[in-house]
Amino acid sequence: MSDKALANDLFALLQSPIDMAAIVREVRADQDGAIVTFDGFVRNESHGRPTLYLDYQAYEHMALSKMREIGMLAREKFAIHRIAIVHRLGRLQIGETSVFIAISAPHRNAAFDACRFAIDTLKRTVPIWKKEYFDDGAVWADGELPPAPPSTPKAAS
Amino acid sequence: MLFFGRMRDLTGVTEEALELPTGATLADAFARYAARFPQLDAFRSSLVASRNEEFASWDTPLTEDDTIAFLPPVSGG
Repeated sequence: MSDKALANDLFALLQSPIDMAAIVREVRADQDGAIVTFDGFVRNESHGRPTLYLDYQAYEHMALSKMREIGMLAREKFAIHRIAIVHRLGRLQIGETSVFIAISAPHRNAAFDACRFAIDTLKRTVPIWKKEYFDDGAVWADGELPPAPPSTPKAAS
Repeated sequence: MLFFGRMRDLTGVTEEALELPTGATLADAFARYAARFPQLDAFRSSLVASRNEEFASWDTPLTEDDTIAFLPPVSGG
């Protein structure tokens, strides 16, 4: 699955606000009939505690390569045209977009399915972390442990 | 050797070089840090190791100039 990403695919980590309209324009083409987007933004509470703001940190080079991998997998699984996955890093205030995904396709079902696949996979496999700040302190958010390959010789049952 | 998220906070280390004997694995590298920062031991089961930007099992042998990290559960999105 080497070179399936097209020129118009877009994978990026940004320190500045995400321009959602520009990304949607980027994936839109005359041969498409649908674009599905996912806008993930900062909620004002976490487990019932009011949140002040979030800090996002990434293993940037690996995160970008995992995002590209999601793009390639999505292209293999679904009949989509273009895919954009953009994640913001640094400090984000309530209501600001942290992740934006836009996927175009000739038909809507593929775009819906691929978008769901992309955000779900991102949340499990892309090395990005968020720290939640509250009135009385800060915690790293509960996350998901990415699946590691099985051990080599013995414990591979 | 790279540290992120809670691991960076616990160790105060962002990035450093690590010398290990030939044949050492990711588990050996972790043990080295757990000896230096005993509070890391409690987190071992909730970490996944990476070698050269790929998730890797703890028994993966290391070679010179590998870039490794012990990654906490990811929480992007």
